[in-house]
Amino acid sequence: MPNAGLKTIIALSFVLAVGFLLVILSCALYKEYYPLLVVATYVLAPLPNWICGRWANPDDFVESSGNAVLDLGRFCTGFLVVMGIALPVLLAHSNIIEVPAMIMCIVGGLLIYGTIISFGMSFQEEQEF
Amino acid sequence: DTMEEGRLWKFGKPAWLNSVWARNAGVYGAGALFSLAFYVLIDAAVWSHSPLNMSDVHVTFIDWLPFIFSSLGMLIINSVEKARLSADSFSYSGSGVAWKARVVLFLGFAALAGGMAGGVVVFVLKFAVHQVAWPMMGMGVENIVANGLVGLSSVVLWVSQNMEDEYSYNLAL
Repeated sequence: MPNAGLKTIIALSFVLAVGFLLVILSCALYKEYYPLLVVATYVLAPLPNWICGRWANPDDFVESSGNAVLDLGRFCTGFLVVMGIALPVLLAHSNIIEVPAMIMCIVGGLLIYGTIISFGMSFQEEQEF
Repeated sequence: DTMEEGRLWKFGKPAWLNSVWARNAGVYGAGALFSLAFYVLIDAAVWSHSPLNMSDVHVTFIDWLPFIFSSLGMLIINSVEKARLSADSFSYSGSGVAWKARVVLFLGFAALAGGMAGGVVVFVLKFAVHQVAWPMMGMGVENIVANGLVGLSSVVLWVSQNMEDEYSYNLAL
């Protein structure tokens, strides 16, 4: 999607709003505000890739240390994405939150993360130049 | 190419296995597996102090020790530059880098294997011997599962870092 336009922005913001709605509902309906951590997780998830992409020197074709830094970023991203799913499951397993709250929280979190990722993919071309 | 002539097995590696895509997916997967291991152990700790745990068996620092060791081993193993392992066979490398790399790698694998064995030790000594009833037994099983997942994660990370075809990787970057 190189020419992502107004429709994409509207659709993505709508999905983001639905994601936040689900997460906040999963907290407020049951008066237990731990699921909000999932939002923080998914907002943080793309950060390691971004930081390590800046840190690794893309002009460096000889040393492989740049690849190692990029790999570290990917590893941390994988860690954070699974954390967003594992955290509600963990809370539900210990009866801290209800199972419906867990389901709403996971679905909402995945919608938020999907929005962030597809926003980054849609507007990559415009960002780089 | 020359690698194809020297191969032993009838079935060659599929082409997608060497691609940048598979390599990156492996690294993401390793992070995901490590996260799963960490949260399985956190789950045991949280469950242990929740009202659901009706016994007086609790997750303490002892239960975390094997995980700390296996994570340390994973960190060491994947910090070593694999290209240095065979460095002594080349003429341009001096000062025994390969020897050092082998010692450090050995320590890393020892820590990883020790952590995995430690998970079993904690399970046996703290849960199996005392014949803890089932929902509580889950905390010991989760310890074994967590350490196994750390081992699996480091295998995935090792394999995906070794499958890189550096030239194509750099071009695709």
